[in-house]
Amino acid sequence: MTRYETLDHTADTGIIAYGANLGEVFENAAFGMFDLAFDLSAVPAAEERQIEVEAQDLGELLVAWLSELLAIGEIDDLVFSSFQVAEIGEGRVAGVAAGSPSRGIELVGPPVKAVTFHDLEVAEAAEGWRARVIFDV
Amino acid sequence: MAFRRTGEVTWELAPEGGMLVPGRVFASEALFAKAESDRALDQVVNVAHLPGIVEASFAMPDIHWGYGFPIGGVAATDVEAGGVVSPGGVGFDICCGVRLLASNLDEAAFRRHQKAIMAELDARVPRGLGKGAIAGRRLLEAVLERGAAAVLDAGFGEPRDLERCEERGTSEGADPSTVSERARERGGGQLGSLGAGNHFLEVQVVDRIEDAEAAGAFGLAAGMVTVMIHCGSRGLGHQTCTDQLAEMGRAMSRHGIEVPDRQLACVPVRSMEGERYLGAMAASANFAWANRHVLADGTRKAFAAAVGTTKLGMDLVFDVAHNLAKIERHPVNGKERTLCVHRKGATRAFGPGHPELPGDLRKIGQPVLIPGSMGTASWVLRGVENNPVFDTAAHGAGRLMSRKKAKQEQTGVEVKRGLEEQGIMVRPGSVRLLAEEAPYAYKDVDEVIDVCARAGLAAPVARLRPIGVVKG
Repeated sequence: MTRYETLDHTADTGIIAYGANLGEVFENAAFGMFDLAFDLSAVPAAEERQIEVEAQDLGELLVAWLSELLAIGEIDDLVFSSFQVAEIGEGRVAGVAAGSPSRGIELVGPPVKAVTFHDLEVAEAAEGWRARVIFDV
Repeated sequence: MAFRRTGEVTWELAPEGGMLVPGRVFASEALFAKAESDRALDQVVNVAHLPGIVEASFAMPDIHWGYGFPIGGVAATDVEAGGVVSPGGVGFDICCGVRLLASNLDEAAFRRHQKAIMAELDARVPRGLGKGAIAGRRLLEAVLERGAAAVLDAGFGEPRDLERCEERGTSEGADPSTVSERARERGGGQLGSLGAGNHFLEVQVVDRIEDAEAAGAFGLAAGMVTVMIHCGSRGLGHQTCTDQLAEMGRAMSRHGIEVPDRQLACVPVRSMEGERYLGAMAASANFAWANRHVLADGTRKAFAAAVGTTKLGMDLVFDVAHNLAKIERHPVNGKERTLCVHRKGATRAFGPGHPELPGDLRKIGQPVLIPGSMGTASWVLRGVENNPVFDTAAHGAGRLMSRKKAKQEQTGVEVKRGLEEQGIMVRPGSVRLLAEEAPYAYKDVDEVIDVCARAGLAAPVARLRPIGVVKG
């Protein structure tokens, strides 16, 4: 199954992430966000960070989850390449992200500055779940 | 939705549905056709729903599809009539902007030293994921409070730099207490760094003067080498906007406000949340002014080291922001009003006589800096009287092609070779990133400038041609 696809947005970059369940769509959206800027196939899952965020609805939860990963990656100079959602409900998601120090890892695309609410969608599809999210790059 | 052509370079949509004001776009036929090709015009319509908006939801000639506001979107709300402030009208890169330095070198002199100059810039300009050259908690706190003035006190740049910076490099009303610890952690170490994406440092040469008097007042002359720096508030601003957007989304329902796009979340300027946002935005803007100030200092040092003298001019022409919301006084229907003017990818352009301009520029008008894409011209304009959009002009060429499409056209290596064949030295942090920023991915900046002039947004002063590019 395709983990994510990139969308054509004139100034910025968007993705559609897919998953068999809600947890997987969150994992794949996170993978897509970092994969836009780095070749994640070459980034070992050497260091782990626990991630936990709360929000009022699913869309907000996805933005909060991705924003948290982005901020922690930038603060700790890590590129995350592997994501595991342990628990997910309407208002809370908890999981683990793993990756490697960003030093020396080449950019293959502009790093994401932020996660936007524009055109945001998290929905159940014919097979599993899908999420559309636009990034500011 | 049907925009109607109402003038040579104006297009208008009468209010429909929940629109409180018309939509008004400044564009030539060709530029308007490009705006129609994506969803930018829907965003002009969405912005027209903002409570308290006056006159129109405007778009500049470089309009393109953004998130929330279109890029090139301008909206002013009446502060005393419940007008709102929307972080979506500023964007994540708070106070992203452009700074221009004028050297006393000509192109021949640059060519003699070009390898050394580009090597020094390559070594001294942190970019991509690179952290800034300076850090320290005490300095960061001072920067959030006082912007460029704080880094000047710390030994960077020169006093005149403040005179030539919008808001003198210090945004009014900054409230560092509203900037989260996370934003400080994320961006604190990035002071003095360029970032990636469309941000750049470019060496240019003045290849045409359109207005000799204004060029003289700005310190520009034909053949002169200049340096343009385009960047913003880095992770500190990105995180501040992220934090504020989350808070504002929740506050909006308390104020009974509904908007067509969650990215347009907004609250009244005169509310606790509105004041918090403006305080955090101003502190982030201070970070951006200081960031460009430090980068300009590094640029001067790079040129001095490469050429072997500090007597190279390198005076600041001006520094302008193109992502900010500001409280300003403007006439609306003949009456002076206090407005919150959002400029999302649009440049403030005060005309002659404006009291906020430095004395020696007051007769001429504010320098307006409009960068083109990598490898194409950039422009210096001046603010004019009777600007129809709350003293605002365009901010760039405007993207034409998505990043995905741009990468399919050419590789980064091909783009680099193409630029070097035109005599433009390129020092990328990552060659692969060049493809997304290739010249063909952007609209023709000369046409954007032409519309600015014809619409009375600003008047052309000088055209700058690139000869060296440093990118993330």
